[in-house]
Amino acid sequence: MSILVTGASGFLGGAVVERLLARGEPSLRCFVRPSSNTSRLRELQGEYPKARLEFVVGNLTSAKDMRRALDGIKTVYHLAAKMRGAPATVFLNTVVASKRLLDASMETKPERVVLVSSLSVYGTSGLPCGRPIDESAELERHPEKRDVYSHAKLRQELLFHEYEARGGFEVVILRPGSIYGIGGKNFSARVGIEVQGWLLHFGRNNVLPLTYLDNCAEAIVFAGTKAAGGDIYNVIDDDLPTSAEYVNAYRSNVDRVLSISVPFFITMAVSSLVERYQVHSQHGVSALLTPYKSASLWKGHQFSNEKLKSMGWLQIVPTREAMQKTFDYLSHRKADTGYPTLPLCRRPGSQGVREHPSPGVAVERES
Amino acid sequence: MRLDVALVGCGKAADQHVSEIKKLKNAQVVSVCDLEPLMAEQLAIRYGVREYYSDFDRMLQQVKPDVVHITAPPQSHLSLAKKALDAGCHILVEKPLALNHEEGAYLIDHVARCNRKMTIGYTYYFDPIARAMRMMIQEGVLGEIVHVESFLGYDLSGRFGEPILADRMHWVRQLPGGLLQNILDHLLNKITEFIIEERPAVCAHAWQRGRDDANLGLPDELRVMVSGQTTSAYATFSSHARPLSHYLTIFGTKNTMHLDFITGTMTFSVSSTLPGSIGRLSGTFGQAWQYFREGGRNVIRFARSQYHYLEGLNFLLTSFYDSIIHDTLVPIPYTEMLRVSAMMDELFEQLRSAHLVIT
Repeated sequence: MSILVTGASGFLGGAVVERLLARGEPSLRCFVRPSSNTSRLRELQGEYPKARLEFVVGNLTSAKDMRRALDGIKTVYHLAAKMRGAPATVFLNTVVASKRLLDASMETKPERVVLVSSLSVYGTSGLPCGRPIDESAELERHPEKRDVYSHAKLRQELLFHEYEARGGFEVVILRPGSIYGIGGKNFSARVGIEVQGWLLHFGRNNVLPLTYLDNCAEAIVFAGTKAAGGDIYNVIDDDLPTSAEYVNAYRSNVDRVLSISVPFFITMAVSSLVERYQVHSQHGVSALLTPYKSASLWKGHQFSNEKLKSMGWLQIVPTREAMQKTFDYLSHRKADTGYPTLPLCRRPGSQGVREHPSPGVAVERES
Repeated sequence: MRLDVALVGCGKAADQHVSEIKKLKNAQVVSVCDLEPLMAEQLAIRYGVREYYSDFDRMLQQVKPDVVHITAPPQSHLSLAKKALDAGCHILVEKPLALNHEEGAYLIDHVARCNRKMTIGYTYYFDPIARAMRMMIQEGVLGEIVHVESFLGYDLSGRFGEPILADRMHWVRQLPGGLLQNILDHLLNKITEFIIEERPAVCAHAWQRGRDDANLGLPDELRVMVSGQTTSAYATFSSHARPLSHYLTIFGTKNTMHLDFITGTMTFSVSSTLPGSIGRLSGTFGQAWQYFREGGRNVIRFARSQYHYLEGLNFLLTSFYDSIIHDTLVPIPYTEMLRVSAMMDELFEQLRSAHLVIT
């Protein structure tokens, strides 16, 4: 057993395991939590009967479990992260969990650790929109002004650099954009915010930094094997739609969307008002919108994937086809439930409103 | 005077404390501490706290805070509290006070020995509607209290419940009373102030309703009957009833009051003086009017930035710090804390006797 995938039962984790198996890996170790749903991984075992999937069930914040998971491993794909919940929980399960993994790695000495990070580590708020943001761009200097996920991913990256400097193993970092695909959600936070079934469409004319699930997984596995130690790569697809094009395609293929298109200058003005009221009310309302967050998400930044392509990565599913597959899935999901797929809709027999990420909590990666 | 406050334990509860302290004029957060330095760091960065530590002794020595908030898991409450008290600090301990009544009593004795002050993180104890309720009871609006019903709904898949479910080794599951011990203060401290007996008769029944959830392995429904000489109480903890409710109903000899801690409304049961069906109809409108009035009051409070979810905690902190500054009585009597922990001990003992696995 030479490869470990953490977060293997997640949205992206399952796809990475699949890509590794498709590339002919004979055996993989999957680190999953006791509460994880491993049905997709067990299906993959059925699809690749010659390969061996080993499950290590444990807690990422447990040093003992991490040592057990890393025993004999040469390459680690670290995907596990907490994307929603209380800030302390997100930090604990993203940053502290990474520290446990890195501490164990210092003992077991894998050759390479591949970290799946996020585009949200860039300090986009102050960056101009003219030039695509590449891997050399400045990182977020005020993570506390963004959301806790961005803060955690940034700290996680810094932690990896600290351990890399201490030696022992190579680190490769990938920064995917918004991952979409089968099993994913309807809209990226970069499209806007969904409130009570309405979509506040903030980033209408912006090109969405999307990456299709299989393309992203392929990039991770590709970089895991080809990239030089210490390298960092943005992961986004080519031929990406604007936010408006995506929403219109969603409308045509999946479901109607009640949306309000909000120009950027109005978004900023409203954000400013929300922030003022937030200060006035001493945080009596959540800071869903602030000028800093809005500029980070909806100003219209574009990201470059040239470095990844120059290494030889090829987008295995063209964007048009990827969108169609996603919409087919979302459409079937809607048909199965009999209800629209907008997150805030109630289902008959459900116990209230389903839990979803807080509106405005921008995340670049789903796992 | 402005008190210097330090926190130990930078988990979820710490966020609430720091955010409320930052609103106060009589205190400031000067330092935070967690065994895991990354957790201390994240809290310090997010709230702009100057210093953070991973060594509690060092923090006490270097920062010399006036007050220490203990927001670490309850297993460490006693040892951390003793250290802070011995260092001359006043303390606020998150609920539950300690692992059992004996520990709690020892801690309170130690507070007295050190001539310091202590309070506990009863967030809803001073909620605006709870304060209004006490005033009305003092004015005799309810008459004598006959019976009290306390209800607390809990979402096991929510931001507090989900991490507990996901991890069998979670500290909450290691408590003697498991999940229940970490929550029941909020349910029981609404009852104890109405029961005069030190050790009233308690009868508890708990079970696991979510039997299809293999990860649970702990009771998620609890009913408690408390019988005092003049007042009885009934407490319900439910993880399955929806929508999530959190209320207190007080049945008096003159009036019955209903406090809804989610909406922040206080209403009375109505009785009409009009005859027959007309009376029943007017009662409905009477209740509607009460909700309309409460809604309007809350709109005004919202506009004045007084409609915070943690308004009760804010009041508790202000009162506690004032009691330190002016050397007056602490806002929550120590006897109240001990009565809650004694009731919990009794309750868990009954559940254990019934061979109900708690953790």
